[in-house]
Amino acid sequence: MNGSGAVARYTLVELSRRRILLVFFVLGAVGIIALGIGLKVLYQVASSNPRGFGNGAVDPATFDHFLELLFVSYLFQALAVFALLIAYAIGMTAIYHDLDSGAAVSIFSKPVSRLAFATGKVGAAVVGLIAIVGLLALEARLVMFLFGGGLENALTGQLIAVMANAIVVMLIVLSLSTWINNILAAVVTFIYFNVITGIITTLHLVADAGVIGNTAVRNVFDVLYWLVPHQLVSSAVRDLAQAEIQMSGGVQSNQALASVPAPSGPGDIAWWVFTVFVFAALVYYAVRRRQV
Amino acid sequence: MAAVVTVQNLRKRYRRRDPWAVDGVTFDLQPGQAFGLLGPNGAGKTSVVKMIAGLLRPDSGSITLFGTEPGNPVARKDLGFSPEDPDFPKFLRASEVLDYFASLLGLDGAERKRRIPETLAFAGLDTEHRQIRQYSKGMKQRLGIAQAILGRPKLLVLDEPTADLDPIGRRDVRALIERLKESGVAILLNSHLLSEVERVCDTVAILARGRVLKEGTMAEVVPEGSNLEDVFVQLVEANQPQRDHLPSFISDATP
Repeated sequence: MNGSGAVARYTLVELSRRRILLVFFVLGAVGIIALGIGLKVLYQVASSNPRGFGNGAVDPATFDHFLELLFVSYLFQALAVFALLIAYAIGMTAIYHDLDSGAAVSIFSKPVSRLAFATGKVGAAVVGLIAIVGLLALEARLVMFLFGGGLENALTGQLIAVMANAIVVMLIVLSLSTWINNILAAVVTFIYFNVITGIITTLHLVADAGVIGNTAVRNVFDVLYWLVPHQLVSSAVRDLAQAEIQMSGGVQSNQALASVPAPSGPGDIAWWVFTVFVFAALVYYAVRRRQV
Repeated sequence: MAAVVTVQNLRKRYRRRDPWAVDGVTFDLQPGQAFGLLGPNGAGKTSVVKMIAGLLRPDSGSITLFGTEPGNPVARKDLGFSPEDPDFPKFLRASEVLDYFASLLGLDGAERKRRIPETLAFAGLDTEHRQIRQYSKGMKQRLGIAQAILGRPKLLVLDEPTADLDPIGRRDVRALIERLKESGVAILLNSHLLSEVERVCDTVAILARGRVLKEGTMAEVVPEGSNLEDVFVQLVEANQPQRDHLPSFISDATP
């Protein structure tokens, strides 16, 4: 498509020079190292006196594995938070600043179609997000060697899920910021994606677990669940929860695991693909309608 | 010779309750012609040129740009547009902005290497390595003109091109317009600087409240013994409500 490559290339150059992204990246990078080193120090202290931990009931190997699980579990949360922050930052700036500053006047007067412009912007935003979160994940993987490794596959699966969710958030902010102020767009997206969708997903999970007995209410939540984007979840979350329950000596029960989201199935993944297409199309529609 | 741009009975308003920003404007522009669009603030000049550049959609009427409608990217291949208050992606440098726009214009690598340094030198930005966010208004205006001529356009639309320029910059823009006219480029100039328009334009249209009050060659619009400023003031004042020129707290004040 004529011009989309140039739009993508220079959007990436711009993104790489934005201080807010650099700040989020540095915070994420420092946070992951601090997490790893902190837990390692905790391990060193505890392993110097293994009998002092867990009333002496835990042997060093089990404790080592426990720390590793704890690290991976914190890592997942940290990656998810920073991926979302980066998604919001890219979504708020990639198109909005061109439209707000008047740069779009010069760009749109060139022989570039609005479709090529939107494609270039969305492409650059996705590549930028994957690059930044990918770098954080790479760092996380290196830090995992502090704990001897072994859970890298879990990290990969969760990383893909985190990026997939962040892409949806970014596309929503991108499309909204073409219509309204970018801060408002971020607030609306947060309410829609993190609050409303979160509540519906949790209630659906609870209904699925059989806590809600009324079939009609369950059906309502089923319908609502298929009206909002689904946050993808890898099998790592449930595997970790299962392992932690076992490590802590707790009895593994279905009820305890019911509160942990199940891994996303083909239906959720297909729904994710559909929502990505819908929100990308919305970005194009908003750019196409925009008069500058 | 086919007109470069034909505007027919163009109308535009921004909200349903608003008065027409552009109301029945009609004109055409031939190759090598310099056309001046004049009018007071809010007359609709910028709306007209933005519709020609495909940035705004008219409510009614038609525009033909190089034989097709301006929304078609192909029509904008030979258009150079320097907007009023130009701005650019703020974290890029001038050379990157020109490279970006050269890519959008479809210029190949060799042509980009040749044109970009020359265009930067013309704009006086060849030694400037800061990002756009650190530019003054005048520097952005220079870059606005530079990006407009980068594609060697057949129609150059300049919206208040010299508003933020120093006298040397103004002289350079005048020389540019003269040179482009000689080579057959059509110029559409929006400006408040009537002396400038008088110097470079062959034809003018005076707009007020979205309507063309008078249009013709410079000789037709400006009678002998008069000047463009007198004609402009008379026409515009006759077509807008009378107002006091000074606030009473200034005019009534005793020294």
